[in-house]
Amino acid sequence: MQQSFDKQPPAQGGAVDPITLSVVRGILETTQREMTLSLEKTARSSVFNLAHDYSTALFNARPEMILQGQDIPIHLGSLIPAMKVIAAYFGDDIHEGDLIIHNDPAYGGSHAIDTCIYKPVFYKGKLVYWTVCKGHLTDIGGPVPAGYNPDAKEIYAECLRIPPVKIWDRGKPRTDVINLILTNLRARRDQEGDFNALIGACQVGERSLIRMLDKYGEEQIDACIDELLAMAERQMRSLIRAVPDGTYTGTAVLEDAGHGFGDFDITATVTIDGDNCRIAIDSPPQVPYFINSYEGNSYSGVYLGLMMFAQLPPPYNEGLYRCVSVDMGPKGTLCNAREPAPHMNCTTTPMETLTDAVRLAFEKAMPSKVAASWGHANGLNIAGWDKRHNEEYVTMVLATIISGAGATPHQDGWHACGPECCFGALTSGDVELLEHSYPIIVHRYSLLTDSCGAGLHRGGSGTAWEVEPLDGEMTFIMFGEGRRIPALGADGATSAMTETKVGRLELKRGGKVETLRRNTIGVIGPGETVTNINPGGGGHGDPRKRPVTRVLEDVRLGLVSVEGAQRDYGVVISDLETLAVDIEATQRLRGA
Amino acid sequence: MDSKYRLGIDAGGTFTDFVLAEKSGQTRLYKALSTPSDPTIAMENGLALIAEDLGTDIRDIISNSDLCINGTTVGLNALIQFRGARTGLICTAGHEDSIEIRNGHKEDGYRYDATYPPAVMLVPRNLRRGVRERVLSNGDIRVPLEEEDVREACRLFLREGIESVAISFVWSVLQPEHERRAASIVREMMPGVALTVGSDLYPQVREYTRTSTAVTNAYLSPILKRYVTAVDAYFRTHGARAPVRYFQSNGGLAVGGFVADHAVYAINSGPASAPRAGLHVTEPFGYRNVITVDMGGTSFDITLTYDGVTNLNKNIDFLRYRIGVPMIQVETLGAGGGSIGWIDDMGLLQMGPQSAGSDPGPACYGRGGTEPTTTDVNLALGYLNTQGLVGGRLPLDVARARAAIETRIAGPLGISLEQAAYGMFTIVNANMVNGIRRVSIERGYDPRDFVLACAGGATAAHITAIGREMGIDRILIPKLASGLCAFGQIISDMKYNHMATCPARLDNGDAYARINGLFQELEANGREQLRKDGFDDSRIRMSRSLDMRYVGQVHECTVEVDVFDIDASTVDRLKDAFHRRHEQLYTYSEPNNTVEVVNIESTLYGVVDKPGRNRLAAGRGAGHAQKGVRDAIFSRDGVYRPAPVYDGNLLGAGDRLEGPAIIEEETTTIVVEPGWTAELHESGSYVLIASARHSASAPH
Repeated sequence: MQQSFDKQPPAQGGAVDPITLSVVRGILETTQREMTLSLEKTARSSVFNLAHDYSTALFNARPEMILQGQDIPIHLGSLIPAMKVIAAYFGDDIHEGDLIIHNDPAYGGSHAIDTCIYKPVFYKGKLVYWTVCKGHLTDIGGPVPAGYNPDAKEIYAECLRIPPVKIWDRGKPRTDVINLILTNLRARRDQEGDFNALIGACQVGERSLIRMLDKYGEEQIDACIDELLAMAERQMRSLIRAVPDGTYTGTAVLEDAGHGFGDFDITATVTIDGDNCRIAIDSPPQVPYFINSYEGNSYSGVYLGLMMFAQLPPPYNEGLYRCVSVDMGPKGTLCNAREPAPHMNCTTTPMETLTDAVRLAFEKAMPSKVAASWGHANGLNIAGWDKRHNEEYVTMVLATIISGAGATPHQDGWHACGPECCFGALTSGDVELLEHSYPIIVHRYSLLTDSCGAGLHRGGSGTAWEVEPLDGEMTFIMFGEGRRIPALGADGATSAMTETKVGRLELKRGGKVETLRRNTIGVIGPGETVTNINPGGGGHGDPRKRPVTRVLEDVRLGLVSVEGAQRDYGVVISDLETLAVDIEATQRLRGA
Repeated sequence: MDSKYRLGIDAGGTFTDFVLAEKSGQTRLYKALSTPSDPTIAMENGLALIAEDLGTDIRDIISNSDLCINGTTVGLNALIQFRGARTGLICTAGHEDSIEIRNGHKEDGYRYDATYPPAVMLVPRNLRRGVRERVLSNGDIRVPLEEEDVREACRLFLREGIESVAISFVWSVLQPEHERRAASIVREMMPGVALTVGSDLYPQVREYTRTSTAVTNAYLSPILKRYVTAVDAYFRTHGARAPVRYFQSNGGLAVGGFVADHAVYAINSGPASAPRAGLHVTEPFGYRNVITVDMGGTSFDITLTYDGVTNLNKNIDFLRYRIGVPMIQVETLGAGGGSIGWIDDMGLLQMGPQSAGSDPGPACYGRGGTEPTTTDVNLALGYLNTQGLVGGRLPLDVARARAAIETRIAGPLGISLEQAAYGMFTIVNANMVNGIRRVSIERGYDPRDFVLACAGGATAAHITAIGREMGIDRILIPKLASGLCAFGQIISDMKYNHMATCPARLDNGDAYARINGLFQELEANGREQLRKDGFDDSRIRMSRSLDMRYVGQVHECTVEVDVFDIDASTVDRLKDAFHRRHEQLYTYSEPNNTVEVVNIESTLYGVVDKPGRNRLAAGRGAGHAQKGVRDAIFSRDGVYRPAPVYDGNLLGAGDRLEGPAIIEEETTTIVVEPGWTAELHESGSYVLIASARHSASAPH
C-alpha cells in the first residue's frame, strides 16, 4: 500500500512578502507555545503535565498541519492522519463552537490512552483553522488501571474506544456524552480536570489565531502559511538530495517481551531518488498482544527515524513530509495493524524498534551523520489505594522510562534523557511531588554504572528507580522491552559487556532479589521493593579509539567500572586507587 | 535622605553605569567600561570620572552619600564561565544524581540536535555523596541520619580540596533536623568551608529544585563573598556612612553579609531593577500596569508589573540550572543593537540572537564588522544621526551599513535595500513583540492594559513600532533611559523572601492554624533580620503569597494576598483569589474542586527613603528645539520622507510634537512614528500617545 498525505501544492504561486512571512511564523509559534504552556500548567495526569506526553498542533482548513509543537516524537506523525480522518468523518457537519474528542487507533489515533480534542476555529462564519491538543490520560478504562493490559487479546479488552464524537455542539457542552466517557474512566476527578485542560488549551490557541486574523487578514495569512509549508518541503528535499541515490535497508529486532511469540524483525527499506524518499516497512503479522501498531502510530515511528537523520530544528509542519512517501506494509501486520489487534504498548513497543529500523537504513546511507539508538522504554505503571485520602491511585511512573540517549557523531549521549520515542521531551517529575501524590517511598533514582553503550563517543547512562509502597499493597505493571538487546550503537560501536546495558526489574522480597525480564503484573507490600532499570544509549564509533583519559574520567565518575573499562574499551587499570593504566596490556587489547 | 547624594553603581556586560542622585532629585549618569576580571577597577575608574566632573575626590562623594548601592554580575559571570568554587554535595543516599538527571529532560528547541551538549555539572558525580537518612512525605523520620556517612564525605572533601559544601536531603523542608546535624558535622570537620543548607536556603517542596538551588548557591557564594568583602572594605575606607547595599534578582536590596551566603539571590540582578524604575517613571501619571523594555547592545529584557506588583519567577531554569528562589521575571531575547540579520536554511529572514557585540560591532562602526545589525538598520532608515549619539561621539558610517544590508539581505531576497532595512526593523520588533507576549499573555495579562516604559539606550528607536504592533497606545521614555536600571536600584527597598512549605488541602480546617503559624514565624524572623539592618517597625512592610493548585495538578499558581489569618470565614477569600488567577491564566477555573496549598512565602521590605523628584522647567515650544530635518523611512514601501529632528536638551516641560519626528537625547534617540504625539513631562519623561487607533492594531 502506497500512501503519502496531501501533496497538493500551495494554493497560490505568487510571492509572499518575506517580512510578513517571518512575522506570521513567529505568531504561529507563539500561539502553539501558549497552548502548550496552558496545557502543561493545568493538566492533572502526571503523564501529561510532567511527561510532556502531549502535543499541540495547528491545522488549516484543508486540513494540513501548519505547525506542530516539538513536544514529543510519539505524536510527530499520528496527528496528521488523525486530523484528516476527523475532518472527513464529519464532512460539512462542523460548526462554530463544536469540540470533537477522539482516541481510537482505527480512526488514525496512536494509542487510545492518548486522547485528542479538536476545535474548529471559525472566522467570519467560515472554518479557517483547527486547534488540536492530544494528551496521555491517567486512565482510559478497561480491566487494568492506566491502560496497559498485557493480557488483552483484542483492543476491546484494553480501553474505552472513542471514535470521533462531539463533546460540544455549537457552543453547548454535551454533558451526557462527557458523562458517558468519564463514567468509563478511573480517577474521574483528575480526568475531568484533564479534559478541561485540553479544551482550555484549544481555546487559548483559537484566541491567538483570531487576533492574528484580525490584524493581517485571512488572505495574507493563508499565503504565508502556504509558503511556510513550501519552505519546509524545500528544506527536506535539499537534505534528501544530499544522500546518494540508492536503496538502503535496516533491520531491527523486536525482542519477545513476554508474549511467547518469539523475536520479530522489522525492516525498513529507504529508497532515495533525487530529492524524493520512499520508506517501505516490512513487519510480521499482528499478534494477540498489546504491541501492535496501527498506521497512525507507525507514522510517528517512521518520522522519528527520519528526524534522527534530518536533525532539523523547529518549527515543524506537514511540508516536511511532502517528499517522503511511506508504505507501512499490508494491513494486519505489526506496523499496520487492523481491528481487533490490541495495541496499548505501541507508542513505545514496537515504535522504537520501527524507528531503529528506519534509522539504521539512513545510517547506511550516511554513517557520518546519523546518531546511535537511544535506550528503549522499559517502564512501570503503579496502582493501589491511598489511605491518606481514601482514594484510588493509578499512574504511569515517568521516572521509570528515562533511558540513556544515543551518542552522536559529535559527542557522548546525554544521560537520562530517553526513551527513544520521547527524545528528551519528557520530564520525570520530582521525587517529593511523587511521594506527596502517592503513598510510596522512592529509595533510589540514579544513573547506572556500565549502562552506557560503549563507543568512541559513549552512549548516555540509563537510570534506576526503586520504590516501596508505604501503607498497603501496590500493583506494578511492567511494559516495554530492551531487556535483552542493548540499544544499537552506530558507526561500528559495540559493547562487550551487555548484561548491564539492558533494562530489567529487580524485585526485592524476603531478603531475595528476583530479576524480571518479561512484562509482568505483580503486587508488592511494605518492606518490599521493585527497582526498574532502564537501558543506556548506544555508542558511536569504535570504543577502542576512545581516548584513555576519557575512559578514566568515566571510571572516576562511576559511569564505567574498572571491569567495564577493560571489557568495553580495552583499558586495563592496574591500580584502583590512582587509576593507573597498564599501558602494555591496554595496547594489546586495543590492538595498537 | 539626610546627606547630599545617593550613589548607584550597576555593572553591565559592556558598561558599568553610575548614577549620582542629589537630594533634590537632580540625577547624573556616568559610564565606565566594565572590567569583569576585577569589577572594582571599573568602580574606581567611574568614581574618578565623577570626582573629576564635580571637581572633588572619591572620598568626598562616598562620604557624602547616604547609601551606596551596587548591582553586580560577579555571580553571573562565574556561572557563565564555570569559575565557581570547588563544591561538594551531601545528599540522601539514592538521590545523588538528581542534578544530573535534571528530570530526564532536554531543553526544547534542541530535540533532534546532535551537537547540543548536556549541561556542565557544577558538582561532578564523584563529589556528590549520598548518606543514609530518610524523611517521609509527612515529615516522619524513616531512617535516622548515619553520621559516619557524613564524616566519610567530609574526609573525601578534605582530600579533594573542596571550598564549598551544599547539603540537601529529601523532605528536609518538613524535617530539617538531619540537614542541621549534618551541617554541624561539616562545620566541625571542615572549619572555614562555605556551607549551604537546602532547607535554609530554599525551604520549599521539590527536591531537585532545592538541591540544584543549593548547589548553585554553594558554587557561587565563595566568589560573591570575596567580592563583597573587597567592595565593603573599599567603601568603608573611603568613609561610607552605611554598609554597601547589593541589588538582588528579586528586585530588592540586601546587605553584603546576606549576599555572600545567598549568592543565588544575586544571580540576575542586572535587569531586575527595571520594574522599580518603571514604576517611578509612571508614578506621576498614576499608571500601575507597566511593561518595561530594555534594549542594549546584545539583548532585550522585558518585565511586567500589574497593579504595582511585578511578575516573579520561581523554580525556573536559569542558564540551564534549576533555581528555586524568587527572581523578577525577566524575559531576555537576543535582540539588541548588535543583533545580526541573516537568512536561515529555510530562506526566512531572521534577526539575532547572534550579536556583533562591541568588537567588531555593527558594520557602521567601521571596525571591520560586515554583518548587518539592528544599529545598521536604524542608521540606514535615517533614525540615527551619522554623528552618533550626542553623549557618545562615535560617528556612524552609513555607507558601510547600507553595503552590509545590501550584500547579506536585500540582494539574496531580491528586494530593495530600503525594503530590506525596514523589513529587518519589522522582524526585530516582531521578536520583541513575541517576547512581550511571553510575559503578558502567557501570564494571563492583556498587554493593551499596560503602558510601556523604556529603558536602555537602543530601545527608543523601536518603541512606537512595538506599541503599534501590540496595540499599546501609551509609552513613557525617561530622558535617563540608558541608565534607568542603575537608577531603579537606588530607589529600591531592602527585600528578603522568607519561605516555608505546607502541603495542605484547603477543605481541611485543621490546616489553617498551621499555615497561620508558619506565616507568623516567617514574619517574626523577617522583622528580626531587618531590625539588624537598622529598620524599625515603621519602616517594615510585608506581603504574603501562597502557591496553590487544584488537587491532582502538579504545577502551582502563585497568588498574592493581604496579610490576614485564615479561618473558616476568610478561607474563601483565599480560594477565590486562586480561582480568579487560574481563570485569568488558563481561561477556566473549577470552583467546585478542592484547592491545596503547597508553598507559602512572606516578603519583607525595609523601606528606604527616596530622593526627591526633579522638575524640568517649562519649555518654549518644540519649534525652538528643532535642529534640522532628516529623511527617514516609516513604512514598508521603503520611501524616505522628511522628519524634523529635535534636540532633547532644548525641549522643556510641556513641549509637544507630532510624529514623524526624531528626538536626539544625550544617550538615546527617540523615533516618533507618524500617528504618535510626544510631550515632554516635567518629571523628565517623554509621553508618547497614539493619536488614533492604528488600523494595524487589534481591537479591544
